[in-house]
Amino acid sequence: MLIASLWSVLLIGYWFLATSGEKKLFPPPSKAWEGFKDLYNEGLVVHIASSLGLCLQATLLSVVFSLAIAYLSPVPVFKPIAKALSRMRYLPLTGITFYLAMVVSDARTMQVWVLVVFMSLYFITSLLGVINDISQEEIDHARSLRCSRWEVLWEVVIKGRMDYVLDVLRQNLAITWMFLVTVESILVAAGGLGVLIKNSDKFMNHGRIVALQIVILLVGLGIDWFLNFLRKSLFRYSTIGN
Amino acid sequence: MGTYYTEGPILSAENLGVKYGDKEIIKNINFQELDVLRPGRVQGQIIAFVGRSGRGKSTLFRCMAGLQQPNEGRVLIPDLKQEPVAGKGYPLKEVQEGDVGFVDQKYTLFRHKTIEQALHFAMRKEPLSDEEKEAKINQYLIDWGLEEVRNQYPNELSGGQRQRTAILEQVLHSALYIIMDEPFSGLDVGNVQSVQNAFQLISQTHELNTIIFSTHDIDMAVNLADSIYVIGYPTLEDGNLEPIGTIVKHYDLKAEGLAWKDQMSQDHYDLVEGIKAVMMGS
Repeated sequence: MLIASLWSVLLIGYWFLATSGEKKLFPPPSKAWEGFKDLYNEGLVVHIASSLGLCLQATLLSVVFSLAIAYLSPVPVFKPIAKALSRMRYLPLTGITFYLAMVVSDARTMQVWVLVVFMSLYFITSLLGVINDISQEEIDHARSLRCSRWEVLWEVVIKGRMDYVLDVLRQNLAITWMFLVTVESILVAAGGLGVLIKNSDKFMNHGRIVALQIVILLVGLGIDWFLNFLRKSLFRYSTIGN
Repeated sequence: MGTYYTEGPILSAENLGVKYGDKEIIKNINFQELDVLRPGRVQGQIIAFVGRSGRGKSTLFRCMAGLQQPNEGRVLIPDLKQEPVAGKGYPLKEVQEGDVGFVDQKYTLFRHKTIEQALHFAMRKEPLSDEEKEAKINQYLIDWGLEEVRNQYPNELSGGQRQRTAILEQVLHSALYIIMDEPFSGLDVGNVQSVQNAFQLISQTHELNTIIFSTHDIDMAVNLADSIYVIGYPTLEDGNLEPIGTIVKHYDLKAEGLAWKDQMSQDHYDLVEGIKAVMMGS
């Protein structure tokens, strides 16, 4: 913790020093601070709430869909579907947005579903990895206690790996959070951090862009910390990353 | 030699063989263990399987536990739902998944269940009332020195507590047969003693309790078991070894007067050397 704080102080110090001359590649902290104040006055909090709302909505839908696919994957008939969906993460999203635009009426729903598709493909991949890593010993242990196939699925795969699901969600949210900005720029009227960064970029307001980057980073880190805290609080047995 | 009598078979393997694809892992496994009765005391049985690595012990154990279907042959255990026949014991039935307790060398437990929850789960199919189950679990937790950690998860247990829980789980599951794959592997002296004590506790609790274990520690096998099987590669006529595991030698320590002794004698150590020689040649 102390070492990390020291490095943060050094980084901020370097930012001040590197932007103190006449020629600079990066806006100085003072510009970023001014940008932050502007953004705050323009309703930064509302935009953050909008982004978080979109993220939450998409996450919930994606989690339900991905878990259903992943938990059914041990059943032979569903395995090819799960694998195929996982491989579709290489599919360019441009194509998906085109077809989604044809079936979805409003832009907000479009944003949600683009995110759901994007998230789910990665989420399914990670969940399949978690399920594949379950050891034969764990399955044998449940079977030796006369667990039926469904009981093995429930006890070992579902209940026994809930903490992993939360951790997989935490890791995948980092990718989604980055992608969120791109998705939000699809529809300016819906607001959100993506809209703010797009507008700032259009008017070459670098102070605002840096301020927004820092805000996006801090909100993202906050979500990450919260999910990690939630995992450790809810699942005392969880030893991931210990 | 302790006086003992034998009754009907308690465990029998008939021409057992397992293949993975084209590769034969074990074949021609045949043995039969009879129920042993000792006047005036409860005497379960402890059977050891020894052999060099890769000879198919774990595969054989998975078959005996009903966790793996053999490609040929079958494993038989008494059908306790039927009436015993005088002098012959219970009629036999083919082993099914869940009939036999299985403890692997990692002492695997449900990672999301506390000890108490795990034991309740193990007893979920027992025809007892909730109160009776609770009382039984409480008593076992006290007897096995686990009462203070009853609300802890496996990752919060010491190695010894984890081992005792894994064994106790199978005991409470009403498995008269408990198979343990290398239960002494990687344990310190204290934990080895803890598992040895659990063996004695189980074998003296019920007449039909049978522990089947594998180990690389031959001294341990001779000290604990009353029957020892050596699994290895059989020697072909040309003198080479056929790389398919089978039983190459059986030692009945009861018949040799070496079972149930408090201390190892010179005869025990001679047997250890004999077993090692058989293992090295197979």
